[in-house]
Amino acid sequence: AEVFLPCRSSHQAEPAPVLFPRPPRSQLGPVSVHLTRNSDVRNTVGNIPMEWYQDYPHIGYDLDGKKIFKPIRNKDELDEFLDKMENPDYWRTVHDKTTASDIRLSDEQVDLVHRLQKGQFGDQPSRHTQIHSCSSGPIVSKMVHAIKMGWIKPRKPKETTPQYYDLWAKEDPNAILGRHKMHVPAPKMRLPGHEESYNPPPEYLLTEEERLAWEQQDPEDRKLPFLPQKHSCLRAVPAFSRFIHERFERCLDLYLCPRQRKMRVNVNPEDLIPKLPKPKDLQPFPTTMSLVYRGHTSLVRSISASPTGQWLVSGSDDCTVRFWEVNTGRCLKTLEVGGAVKGVAWNPNPAVCLVAVCFESTVLLLNPALGDRLVVGATDQLITSYEPPEEDKEQAVTWALSEGPEHDKGHRLTLTHPKGVKQVVWHGKGDYLSSVMPDNTSNLQVLIHQVSKRRTQNPFRKNKGLVQCVSFHPLRPYFFVATQRCVRVYNLIKQELTKKLTANCKWISSMAIHPGGDNLICGSYDCRLAWFDLDLSTKPYKMLRHHKKALRGVAYHKHYPLFASGADDGSVIVCHGMVYNDLLQNPLIVPVKVLRGHQITHDLGVLDVTFHPTQPWVFSSGADATIRLFT
Amino acid sequence: MSQLQTRFFTENKKYSVDDVPFSIPAASEVQDLSSVINKLLEAKNGSHSQVEFDFLVRGQFLRTSLASHMEAESISTEDVVEIEYVERFTAPQPEECMMHDDWISSVEADSEWILTGSYDKTARIWSLEGKAVMTVAGHTDVVKDVAWVKRDGLTSLLLTASLDQTILLWEWNSERNKLKARHCCRGHAGSVDTIATNPTRTKFCSGSWDKMLKIWSAVATEEDEELEEQPNRPRKKQKTEQLGLTRTPLMTLSGHNEAVSSVLWLDGEEVCSASWDHTIRVWDAETGELKTTLTGSKVFNQLSYSPLCQRLASGSTDRHVRLWDPRSKDGSLVLLSLTSHNGWVTAVKWAPSHEHQLVSGSLDNVVKLWDVRSCKAPLYDVSAHEDKVLCVDWTDSGLLLSGGADNKLYTYRYTACESDAGA
Repeated sequence: AEVFLPCRSSHQAEPAPVLFPRPPRSQLGPVSVHLTRNSDVRNTVGNIPMEWYQDYPHIGYDLDGKKIFKPIRNKDELDEFLDKMENPDYWRTVHDKTTASDIRLSDEQVDLVHRLQKGQFGDQPSRHTQIHSCSSGPIVSKMVHAIKMGWIKPRKPKETTPQYYDLWAKEDPNAILGRHKMHVPAPKMRLPGHEESYNPPPEYLLTEEERLAWEQQDPEDRKLPFLPQKHSCLRAVPAFSRFIHERFERCLDLYLCPRQRKMRVNVNPEDLIPKLPKPKDLQPFPTTMSLVYRGHTSLVRSISASPTGQWLVSGSDDCTVRFWEVNTGRCLKTLEVGGAVKGVAWNPNPAVCLVAVCFESTVLLLNPALGDRLVVGATDQLITSYEPPEEDKEQAVTWALSEGPEHDKGHRLTLTHPKGVKQVVWHGKGDYLSSVMPDNTSNLQVLIHQVSKRRTQNPFRKNKGLVQCVSFHPLRPYFFVATQRCVRVYNLIKQELTKKLTANCKWISSMAIHPGGDNLICGSYDCRLAWFDLDLSTKPYKMLRHHKKALRGVAYHKHYPLFASGADDGSVIVCHGMVYNDLLQNPLIVPVKVLRGHQITHDLGVLDVTFHPTQPWVFSSGADATIRLFT
Repeated sequence: MSQLQTRFFTENKKYSVDDVPFSIPAASEVQDLSSVINKLLEAKNGSHSQVEFDFLVRGQFLRTSLASHMEAESISTEDVVEIEYVERFTAPQPEECMMHDDWISSVEADSEWILTGSYDKTARIWSLEGKAVMTVAGHTDVVKDVAWVKRDGLTSLLLTASLDQTILLWEWNSERNKLKARHCCRGHAGSVDTIATNPTRTKFCSGSWDKMLKIWSAVATEEDEELEEQPNRPRKKQKTEQLGLTRTPLMTLSGHNEAVSSVLWLDGEEVCSASWDHTIRVWDAETGELKTTLTGSKVFNQLSYSPLCQRLASGSTDRHVRLWDPRSKDGSLVLLSLTSHNGWVTAVKWAPSHEHQLVSGSLDNVVKLWDVRSCKAPLYDVSAHEDKVLCVDWTDSGLLLSGGADNKLYTYRYTACESDAGA
């Protein structure tokens, strides 16, 4: 007899106790068993002969109405036999016809079967799974009530919505290949123009020839992909025949557009400018023109201030040398010399009152008799105290002592050179002076003279190019020679080349040495000013291109951190040039002021600049025959 | 805002009006205010004649309309505005023009005679009427400064300082018009740019390019104080014999780092000097000690001191006339800047009888007359010169003098209101 019992509780983990006819131990025949399992596979076809389903792939329907499929392969006799011989649990395995699966009975089920076979009661009273106890009655009624009211939903339908997760949740927002970084905006479509209008202006309509030419062109070569057409009104415009084609091309554009990322660097132009202090924080420096020294009748080539700062000497192409009182602009003395004055230099030694003047092939040493009478007298004494040496050596220049009226005019010594002298410069101690005779063909370009001993020597054996200007180092025995493109630094004691500075410009015009001796500036005819830091490099530390035209003169201030340059554009540019004692700190260069005032005459502007020795004032001499003082 | 409540007052009893507030249009200017005062005075006093007035609001001269002046000075327009009025200073009247042969470097005038130093190496004495009386020739170089020492009847003592590093003390008899070099003061090692006689007329102080100040006796004596001259300088020996007895300084004050450009006596004991090293120093003339240092930012050209307001005025190598308090201890406080010139201020001089007024000369060829109560603009510009103005002076008798690089010495008659002087 087959017994079917409904399950008592769906929450029970154990299979529900089922009443079984007692199977013979030796042979457990096929038993119709209805089992409640975790998977809750239950055939709902009812107690029907399962043979009815033998031709179907399924054997019934579960509670949801889904088909319960038969196992793919039925066991044949051999499988059965092998199972019987090998499976130790074979005796407790039953075949569920309704689900067509083998089920291994648990110990309790076996026990239950045994008890049923013995004719005993199915449930053991000692078990806790009493169904209708007095205590559980209200609980059950409560649950039933809750189910009725809809508070508890038995067999809650499972969440069937698919579970998604955010694929990019863990993405690094700063990753270089981030999704947003790779965003490529779609190329914009060209906006329609007048030719696309339904009623374009007549100049957009193609003439007959143009239309023929358009038709003969390859579609790729056509300037316009369509023929502009005129319609009397918007209503008369026909359907756009190329619509699909145009959409297709748009798709091609989008799909084939280059997916290359353009890295655009956003640079604030302000950030590119180096952080420099404001000029007004760098005062004092000259700002206004204060005095004009008038008197020369031709261009003033060279100026030089006396070491005390009371006087200024200037040499001009009108063949005169003039001495000026700095603070009033008064010309105190005018001396005629025999040629256009190329250079003047006041002796930097305050204990000597001498001015070197060069014109044509002569260097003249003048005693202007300005300043302290004692100094003037001592200078004359120094010159006259010379005693000629025992053996007279042949010298490159002839030294001649001036006498008579020339002496009264102030002439003291005349050095006649073999060639035209362009520049004359004093050593800081005031005993040596050097003269430059530019000449590309010989080694006799630079001479160094000693005034007290009236000696002259040519320090160079070789011609290294056309010498433009020379200068003495303010502290050490170095000598700077500027040729057209480079500056050579010689050690006068060791008589060797120490450094060669390349100016990166075409033609050096002027040079000035910083009073500290470790920096120098070069002005060039190609509008540049090069600052060299001798400790840093043989290349310019800074190139300043502030002038519009060729530079003619550059100068450093003795005490203030200032330097100035004068150029043919008629302007003097004053820069703050701070040199630090700290070797790690590079010089600070700040242009502070453009000073204008000189008129441009014969395409020449400012010819020479020099600073006042004690005040932050700069003098400039120009081709307009004036000297100007800027304070 | 169209009307302002104002109250007028004046120090001058002659022109005083009732002390009641008036309602004045805010846009009124000096002319309008002046006519208001004149109307009031006429109503009070039938015999009143028209007088031009100038007005001061809180010590500042009114130069624009009342409303804009008060806005610029940020004075409240709610209260009654106190306006002081003074008789308007008449413009300086040009008197004489004295032609020199060369630039005029310095001028000093007293009540009778004018003394000028010139770049032609001479000094000249002129009468106030502009008549050349005497040429003081003796220096071998430019005369940089001149000073009167004293006058005993017809005999005067005068000083000339020169680029040739000497100062000459001359005795001039105006009746016989005889001039004699009494002393040659040697000791400076640079051009002597400035000299000043002390109030008691017994000493003078000189400042030179050699950074030194020297104090000398200004008393003419007969005996030679100088030691034997060095034998290897016969030319100077000769000159010394020509130009009176050599004199050596009583005291040397050293401390300046650059040339001394101007020197003056604050009183009998104190000497004040201005220098190219951007400082003004006050020295004790008895002990030679440095008392105070005032530090500026520019080279000083000239100083002037007014005992009336106890202020120093300085002209420097920029466009400003600056006022200083020589007694201040903090050292570098500029009380006021008068800015109107376009070039270096080469000369300044306080009015001898007016505590607010001074005159300045500049390289921009203009002489300006200032009232320190109106620091924005000068009272008058005198632009007679055609070249740089190098020196100015102002005498007790109200004569203004200015000389410059156009070789001309101009004199102007100018009377600051005496009634206002004691204000």
